[in-house]
Amino acid sequence: MGTLSPFGTAIRLHGVSKRFAGIDGIEVGVEPTDLDVAQGEIHGIIGFSGAGKSTLLRLINLLEQPDAGQVVVHGEDLTTLSPDRLRAARRRIGMIFQHFNLLHNRSVADNVAFPLRIAGESAARIRDRVDACLAFVGLSDKASAYPAQLSGGQKQRVAIARALAPEPHVLLADEPTSALDPRTTQSLLDVLADVNRRFGVTIVLVSHEMSVVRRLCHRVSVMEAGRVIERVSLDAGHIPPDSQLARWLNEFGGGSESAAPQGYAPHALAREAAHV
Amino acid sequence: MFDNIIELLPEIAKAINETLLMMAICLTAAVLIGGSLGIVVFLTSRGQVLARYRHFNLVANALINVFRSFPFIILLVAVSPFTRHIVGTSIGPLAASVPLSLAAIFYFARLIEQTLRDVPRGVIEAAEAMGATPRQIVTQVLLVEARSGLVLAMTVLAVSFLSYSAVAGVVGGGGIGDLAIRYGYYRFQTDVMIATIVLLVIMVQGIQLLGQWLARHVDKR
Repeated sequence: MGTLSPFGTAIRLHGVSKRFAGIDGIEVGVEPTDLDVAQGEIHGIIGFSGAGKSTLLRLINLLEQPDAGQVVVHGEDLTTLSPDRLRAARRRIGMIFQHFNLLHNRSVADNVAFPLRIAGESAARIRDRVDACLAFVGLSDKASAYPAQLSGGQKQRVAIARALAPEPHVLLADEPTSALDPRTTQSLLDVLADVNRRFGVTIVLVSHEMSVVRRLCHRVSVMEAGRVIERVSLDAGHIPPDSQLARWLNEFGGGSESAAPQGYAPHALAREAAHV
Repeated sequence: MFDNIIELLPEIAKAINETLLMMAICLTAAVLIGGSLGIVVFLTSRGQVLARYRHFNLVANALINVFRSFPFIILLVAVSPFTRHIVGTSIGPLAASVPLSLAAIFYFARLIEQTLRDVPRGVIEAAEAMGATPRQIVTQVLLVEARSGLVLAMTVLAVSFLSYSAVAGVVGGGGIGDLAIRYGYYRFQTDVMIATIVLLVIMVQGIQLLGQWLARHVDKR
């Protein structure tokens, strides 16, 4: 893949694979795969359940150890690092999750402070970053609230603030809107687009929702059965009509041509969301 | 009709002190040693951050099961040579604290391991993704997120071992249970028996209410 951005490559996966036995002993995971993400890009990974898209994402910060291959983030092969250096590298890679994964017994401010505290940052710096990040996601007034008092969309905003606190270069987003309603999804995607534009953070986003990927991403990797079967460049939401992505949209009732300005009508790929 | 009780008031006070001493020793040992053991067993279990130390997990689990298999009264007698070795005697509340501590350590280790399983894997994973060390995961994630469960586990521990400490009375361990056996049972002083039971009921209620209040107070989930 050519590089989109003049700033170079943020993430390069080279021949990574991961196999593990899933439910019923069926092997799931990722077949040897390459992935290049340019600096400043928003890269989507889309596919059905079990396609290996979350596994591929989790290989980027080594939450999954690959069976083979290289994971290069900002020029550093993470698979060769000592545990200490891997932890340092992870501090520059933010991550958000479908179910937010906030600490429930800590206030919003303490959640955002968490990655800075464990990195041993000074109290003054922690205060500054917590204030700045909560202001960015529009939740300054909730600093002393607990996660249980927030809506799903607010929880995900806190998670974004937490991920941004250490000023990461890269943000990994694992189905970040799949537990949210369409309107909340839209405003959350605006926040993610803002993270990318204002701070130049490279984002890799896993989703099974076509509308999410179409709205946000510069490029998309389409996965099936552990392989990237297609890489598509989106031009302002336009999907090339001869792509697998376009065929899926046709097959499952969406339109492949129009850039679907609202684009949140439930389509087949969103059916998977029903069981979360 | 309370003649026996009035006569025995000094004995009752002494028994309460002995029970409190045994409880303090065995609960402290359980929380410090058993708690640590439970945390490590949890961390080394399948899918957790130290899962690569599988051998430790297998050995520790087997050890916990072995000690939890002993009927307490058998453990009490079986470890008496060990007790004599470290306390110098096998009679009295200090001596009884040795088998009590042993039982409590392994009992609490299992309780803690199970309590920590309630912390969602995703929350631990998020901390890993942020670059947390295993130690930070324990002190800043597990112990914080599971704290109300941990308080309830300590409550269960305290209630169970209040009753175990009464069993220690059988071998001259001292304490409230000893009093109940010596006067209430062997000498048919029913009023003493009733008094000791009332005392134990009050203590159990107190522990339980305190534990529940504290657990609710620290739970922000």
